Amino acid sequence: MKHRQIKDLLPHYIEDQLDDREREKVAAHLEHCPECQKEQEEYKMLLKAFNYEKQISPADRIRQRFYEQIEKEKQMQPKGVSLEKSYSKKSYGLGQLIRLAACIVLVIGGFYAGRYYQSGQSNLKIVELQKKNEGIKQTAMLSLMENKSASKRIQGVSYVEEFNHPEAKILKALIDRMLIDENPNVRLAAVNALTGFTSSETVRGALVEALEIEKEPVVQLAVMHTLVQIKDKDAVEVMKKLLDKEDTPDFVKEQIKSLIPTIV
Amino acid sequence: MKTITDEKLMLEVSRGNLDQLKILFERHHSHVYNFLLKMTRNQMLSEDITQEVFYKIMRHRETYKDGKFVSWMFTITRNCLSSHMRKKKEDSLGFDPRSAKDLVSDIEAKEELSHLEEALNHLELPDRELLTLAKLQNIRYNELAVIMDSTPGAVKAKVFRAIQKLKTIYFKDI
Repeated sequence: MKHRQIKDLLPHYIEDQLDDREREKVAAHLEHCPECQKEQEEYKMLLKAFNYEKQISPADRIRQRFYEQIEKEKQMQPKGVSLEKSYSKKSYGLGQLIRLAACIVLVIGGFYAGRYYQSGQSNLKIVELQKKNEGIKQTAMLSLMENKSASKRIQGVSYVEEFNHPEAKILKALIDRMLIDENPNVRLAAVNALTGFTSSETVRGALVEALEIEKEPVVQLAVMHTLVQIKDKDAVEVMKKLLDKEDTPDFVKEQIKSLIPTIV
Repeated sequence: MKTITDEKLMLEVSRGNLDQLKILFERHHSHVYNFLLKMTRNQMLSEDITQEVFYKIMRHRETYKDGKFVSWMFTITRNCLSSHMRKKKEDSLGFDPRSAKDLVSDIEAKEELSHLEEALNHLELPDRELLTLAKLQNIRYNELAVIMDSTPGAVKAKVFRAIQKLKTIYFKDI
């Protein structure tokens, strides 16, 4: 084989992707060709560089949001339909298995039915939400936001997307969630919901207030980003205060430092 | 204890066991994110698309059949990425890379790019994509072929050609 051909085979040789015959030829050529030896060393260095390349860890907020999305999705889930399907496939032609499958389906069906009835009240509200007019939607949304379960409250908060021009009552309820809810996930969802309505002065004021009282870094950051987007000047003072506070985490402080210049 | 394979977990998810998706998220979201980071060089955008990828995996869980989970995940990732790129082209006003960069606070903005990254940035996008997947995320040729809708042989040849190009760039200014 010619020098040129060998040269082309080198990357394959280094990754051990050649058959025996080719490998021997390349090895033999390498012994007496300094140019190819140099080439081989370069490939090795390059591949090593890939191994040393650092991976950057993504921000925690991705996890936080995704886990919220999972919780929301669980609420919408139909009752284990695909589970039944997959079991009936396996039991095909085997009486024993069919009976077993029937048991499983019954148990699972029972479990979900129980769950369904337990959460019946809220589920009914969801159904209403999808069907009826704005008035009912609004009532349902407001009552979901008062629910004991945090994931129901998040669900309620996110229903704001259903309204093009939500009434003051709804905005007020969202603001309450953002300011007083005990669960940070709910507060975060409320912040996200309110970002769509920053044209309202009340909402802007409430966001600044939230920044003042919020202790959870994830929520702090979400509020800050919203305020920065609308270039709210009042936010700057509060952000500076946060910088001076000792209990503000370093990564929040860093964000603040990089965000302040974008407002002023 | 044996670890459960991605494929088994995803099958569970497709049958409605959504909690298993958290395990898959923990295993893979950093790979998706780092791949996107190399492609877009924009942290905010990479975060957004990573979020979107896992949301889509959850919403379309029932369309997962068998096959390698990683291939499926990166296929979705590439689709999301290309629709973002299209959108960016359509409304050049909507997305301003400079303002997004101002929001970037951590490592990338402060530290310099590694020599390898600089060299990668000189490659055409498809070559950069191939090498990022094959060499940084260590995706095997068989899986890469599924992701690229091609054959293992063809993908392998492309990867080696890309490596040759990269090597020339990499050693040019050393």
